[in-house]
Amino acid sequence: MIAVNSAGLTDVGKKRKGNEDALIIDDKLKLYVVADGMGGHLAGEIASKIVVDTILDSLHNTDEQSVKAESIKDIKDDGLSPAARMLLSGINLANHEVFNASRAKESCRGMGATVSAICFIDETFIVANVGDSPIYMIHKGEIETISVPHTLLAEQEAIDPDKAKQFESRYKHILTRAIGVKENVQADICEIQSFKNDILVICSDGLSDKVSPEEIRDLVKIKAPEEACQALVELANNRGGDDNITVIVIKIIKTGKKKESGISGFFSRIANVLANIPLMQTFKK
Amino acid sequence: MPTLTLKFKENSIKEFPLDKETNISIGRHNENDVVINNLAVSGYHAKIDSIGNGFLLTDLQSKNGTFINGKTINSHYLTHNDTIIIGKHSLIFAYKAGESRPKNTAADMDQTMILDTGKYKEMMEQNAPEKRIAKKVKIKEAYLSIFSKDNEEVCLSKKITRIGKASDNDIIMGGLLTGKTAATISKRPGGYFLSYVDGMKKPKVNGSAVTESVQLKEFDIISIGSGKMQFSYKE
Repeated sequence: MIAVNSAGLTDVGKKRKGNEDALIIDDKLKLYVVADGMGGHLAGEIASKIVVDTILDSLHNTDEQSVKAESIKDIKDDGLSPAARMLLSGINLANHEVFNASRAKESCRGMGATVSAICFIDETFIVANVGDSPIYMIHKGEIETISVPHTLLAEQEAIDPDKAKQFESRYKHILTRAIGVKENVQADICEIQSFKNDILVICSDGLSDKVSPEEIRDLVKIKAPEEACQALVELANNRGGDDNITVIVIKIIKTGKKKESGISGFFSRIANVLANIPLMQTFKK
Repeated sequence: MPTLTLKFKENSIKEFPLDKETNISIGRHNENDVVINNLAVSGYHAKIDSIGNGFLLTDLQSKNGTFINGKTINSHYLTHNDTIIIGKHSLIFAYKAGESRPKNTAADMDQTMILDTGKYKEMMEQNAPEKRIAKKVKIKEAYLSIFSKDNEEVCLSKKITRIGKASDNDIIMGGLLTGKTAATISKRPGGYFLSYVDGMKKPKVNGSAVTESVQLKEFDIISIGSGKMQFSYKE
C-alpha cells in the first residue's frame, strides 16, 4: 500500500479578519483538499467549509455498490477510473450544496469557493481542481503545476500568450469557474503514476501569490512536510500576508502496487475508516 | 445601473442599459447585443462582463482594436465617462446622476472574484466562431500506432492508459520479463507522460530505458515488451 508523509497548515495571514480557507488532511482515506472561499461577510468561510465537509462526507458514505449505482451515474465516462469518478462526484455534490446554500440565504448570495484535491489509489494518484488554488508536483527536482487554473488570465494565455502579457496583473484573480456559482461545474482532473520521493503541494493563492513555485520546491525538498508548511506560511506572512494562507505538503515514502482491480484498495481503506467510527462499532456488536 | 450609449460622430444612435447580470457583446454580426454595422468592426469585436461591482471591457482580438480614451486596450475596467472607440463609432460608459459607483475598482481587483457571467463560457464559444480561439487551442487527441499489431491506432482518450501483460490493461503487450502493467501514459495539463510501473524489463522511449517517467513528444518511439509503438497527435 502507498505510504505518504503529510502535513498541512492554514493561517489567517496579516490583513484579513477571518480565514476563508479550509482543508482536509485524511491519511486514512489518503485524501487531501484545499478550498478557498469567497463572498462577503462570513459567506466565504461558509462556502469553503461546505466544500470540505461535503467531499469528506461523500467519500466516507460511499461503498462500491452505491458508487456504481448512484452518485456517478451523472458523470459521463470520460475514460476515468472509478476512484476518479468518485472524487468528481464529491466535487459535484459540494457544488450543489454551496449553490443551494447561497440561494437559500440572503447573506450567502454569490458565495463560492475553489477546490483542489488529491487522492491516492494504489500506484497512482488523482488530481482534481476547480478555480485557481494550485497543485504542484515535484519529481526529480523539477516542479510542475498539475492543476488547471480557471482564471481569466489563464484563458487569455491559452487564446493569445502575447496579448495576455499586457493583461494587468490585477485581473489574475478573476475566476472563470468556481464551486457553488452555477448549478453545475466541471472539474479538471488527471491521474498520475506515483513514485517514491515525489512531493505534492496544494495551496491557496495566499501562498502562491507571495512565494514562487521554485521557492516552494527548494523548501519542500530540504524540509520535512510539517516544517516546510510552517516555513512557507511564515514566508508568505513576511511578504505581507495579504490573504489567508493554506498549504498541504505530501511526500511519497512508498508507492503501492496495483491490486486485483485497482479501486479495491481505496474501498478497503474506506471500510477501515468506517470500522473505526464509534457508531459502526456499535452496529457490529 | 450604468448605460452604454452608442454614437456615430456626434449623434447618439442607441442606449444600452448595463446590469449586474448581463454581459454584452459588441460586433458587426447580428448575434451581438450591440451591433455596429461597419466594416472596420470585427464580427465579434469586444465584450463587457459584469465583474464584482464593476464592468470589464475585453477586446476579442479584433482586427482594428478597441480604444479607451484614445489608448488601445486588451482589457479595461470601465469608469464613469469612459469613451470606447470601435471603428468610427464610440460607446460612452456612464453612470446615472446620483447613482453609486464602485469606489476603487482597481483595489477591489486584488480580491479573488468570480466572473459572474453565467454566459461567459457561451460567449467564449460564440466568439470562437471567429476561429481564432478554435484554431489556437484546438484539442489534439494523442494516439499510439502499434507497429506490432498492424499499425493499429489507439486513441489515448483516458486520463490514464495502462499498458502491460495482464488482461485488465488498456493495451495488452506481452513479452518476456514484461510487467503485468509495464507502463502507464497519463494526460496532464502539461502533456502526456509515460511512467514505468513494473516488470524486469523497463519500457524504452527512443531507445533509452525509462526508470520513472518521461514526457512524450510527437513521433517518439516507445517499446514495451515485445511491442513497438509511435506516439503522435491528430486533430
